[in-house]
Amino acid sequence: MSQKSERRGIHVDQSELLCKKGCGYYGNAAWQGLCSKCWREEYQRARQKQIQEDWALAEKLQREEEAAYASSQGAQSQPSLTPFSKFEEKKTNEKTRKVTTVKKFFSPSSRTAPKKAPCEKVEKVSGARERHGEALLRDLRGMFTQPWEMMSPTEESHEGKTPSPSISRQSSIETDRVSRDFVDFLKNLQKPGREIHKQCRAFIENMANKKDLGADELSECVQDFYQNMSDRLMTHFKGSTERVERVMDQVEKYIMTRLYKNVFCPETTDDEKKDLATQHRIRALHWVTIEMLCVPVDEEIPEVSDNVVKAITDVIEMDSKRVPRDKLACITRCSKHIFNAIKITKNEPASADDFLPTLIYIVLKANPPRLQSNIQYITRFCNPSRLMTGEDGYYFTNLCCAVAFIEKLDAQSLNLSAEDFERYMSGQASPRKQEPELWPQAGPGGGGGSSPGLTQVYQSLDLLTGLEARQERVLEGARGLESDLISWQESVEREVQEILEKYPLEIRTPASAIDSDNVENDRLPPPLQPQVFVG
Amino acid sequence: MMAERRLSSREESLLEVQVEARLLRVKMVLLGSSGVGKSSLALRFSKDEFKASAPTIGCAYLTQVVCLHNARIRFEIWDTAGEEKYHSVTPLYYRGAHAALVVYDICKRESFARAQLWLKELEKQYFPGETVVGLVGNKADLSDGRKVSLQEGYRLAESKGLLFMETSAKSGQQISELLMTIAERVQKSTREDRGLVEWREVESVGLHQGERPHPLGTCCLVGP
Repeated sequence: MSQKSERRGIHVDQSELLCKKGCGYYGNAAWQGLCSKCWREEYQRARQKQIQEDWALAEKLQREEEAAYASSQGAQSQPSLTPFSKFEEKKTNEKTRKVTTVKKFFSPSSRTAPKKAPCEKVEKVSGARERHGEALLRDLRGMFTQPWEMMSPTEESHEGKTPSPSISRQSSIETDRVSRDFVDFLKNLQKPGREIHKQCRAFIENMANKKDLGADELSECVQDFYQNMSDRLMTHFKGSTERVERVMDQVEKYIMTRLYKNVFCPETTDDEKKDLATQHRIRALHWVTIEMLCVPVDEEIPEVSDNVVKAITDVIEMDSKRVPRDKLACITRCSKHIFNAIKITKNEPASADDFLPTLIYIVLKANPPRLQSNIQYITRFCNPSRLMTGEDGYYFTNLCCAVAFIEKLDAQSLNLSAEDFERYMSGQASPRKQEPELWPQAGPGGGGGSSPGLTQVYQSLDLLTGLEARQERVLEGARGLESDLISWQESVEREVQEILEKYPLEIRTPASAIDSDNVENDRLPPPLQPQVFVG
Repeated sequence: MMAERRLSSREESLLEVQVEARLLRVKMVLLGSSGVGKSSLALRFSKDEFKASAPTIGCAYLTQVVCLHNARIRFEIWDTAGEEKYHSVTPLYYRGAHAALVVYDICKRESFARAQLWLKELEKQYFPGETVVGLVGNKADLSDGRKVSLQEGYRLAESKGLLFMETSAKSGQQISELLMTIAERVQKSTREDRGLVEWREVESVGLHQGERPHPLGTCCLVGP
């Protein structure tokens, strides 16, 4: 059946559109044929599994670490630390929890359908109509926005959000690596290192139980943890900020790598909606030019356009990082490239008056994936002092300004008339399409005021037309050649036939031996004899 | 806003173990219309140059350390985009700032009006005494084209209890004085309960030892 529908092209059987779970809603290829609700449950389960795996690993690492301590420090290390029994208790807690979840995994009910299925059915039966409509809308959105809108948010999210085994393994490899690095780092700190590790583990465990909390509470928890940890470190290191910061960086890295999947763009917030809104907005503003924003960057200079491309790459790369600080580093790198671009163009150091418009331009050009989620995530989970002060903080603030500006942007801020702005926004006109008569006359290369991209498009079109004509000619020639060949063959055949007819084959009597007529044979010299020379 | 609240709770706890003669990080924001010389001022603050000859790639974010007799202050100078269209997003810049300088051009009446607007905006955000706000009339070297008199600037600043100075980023006039004054005021404001994000040095000391690092003399380190 599927083949049939494929052959017909557009027609798809109704049953194929439905969710594979059979819940009655429409499914979506991007969600492996499930509807958004079943997909979320499916994904939730995979995530749960991942957490379990992480725990197992953390436990393993902890054991390794303990073994290392035991061997390096002998018996003297234990007594001074927090009561061991407590730790033991935690461990058993963890084990029992694991057993129950493992059971849950293999119990048939979880295999066939998620627990929610029956209640969903009830809901459907009692079916408030608007709810159904809402769900339909949701599915439709999934269906139709998928190629463009859904791509960018999901595309970059392999790390966290796709439950396909190979990818989840990949991400757990990354968490493994971070965990190992963390343990290695803590080993250098000796005793407190072990304490820190224990604290972090306990915290992550704690957070796993708090999934239902809102984003703000989650942020509060993490920030409190940072606070407590740095306070304790501060007393431990006797106030050496530098060392405390170094440890805190590692703690942040470890914790946020672990928590990332749960706290980045959590479902309790409307971050995702905002992401999409920003993305639409930026896409709707595709017509904004360098001139409108007064960007002091000349992309004609190769070095400048090189920096612009790098800046765009960096700001896009931000989404692929998990640790807030790494994300900040991407923004800073992007900003440095912008400064370079301005510096090369203007030949003097860039001021904020140059920088902000350029950053806005870069953001418009890059349309970074999940921009709002990333900003929210950094604000919620980065060490606050890094955001309010410091160079990273400055660039981050600028990015926030750029996003705020893009959201509020109007005709006035681009020095346009309100009508023009409306027309460009609605897509009825584009700043370059105002003089459409120009193109055919100007022809390729002479695009005058139009953008280089358009000129190129027209050049390519011309080239294509030329190629088409040439191909036509070649085909014509080939056809001519073919007919020539055929007629040639015919003419040759005709000629041969004619000759054959003209000179019919006649068989004469065979002539006598060649030598018999030769009278003077005897006058010839004797045949040469081979001579042998020795030496 | 949440970050701000958190910050202050953190500061409070830090204040308990505060030691004197430390390095304080001070975020200072420069506000004002475009073309009044904010970036030149920033450049002057941090490098004592007018037009950067050195390989500075940007003067949007610069730092400078100033020494007072019992503290060192590390200024982090945030330049802001002055154009009117960015006015609505500027509050993001001065969030959490310890000092703000509102700059106008003494030769441009209109920039003085904008400065008043900025001051009003700032008042909405801060209670007096918490953030050190300064009014700066720049381009004092161009006295021929002066459109805003010294008295006017002075009166405006006085009415709001602000620091006031006329400077010239071009000649360097009054620049180091301005920075020192701000440093002193900022330090004074930290004695009150609103603290600063502290940047403790490696050699600085915890409470337990009770010993004080030797006080640094008044070494004005404005400029290289």
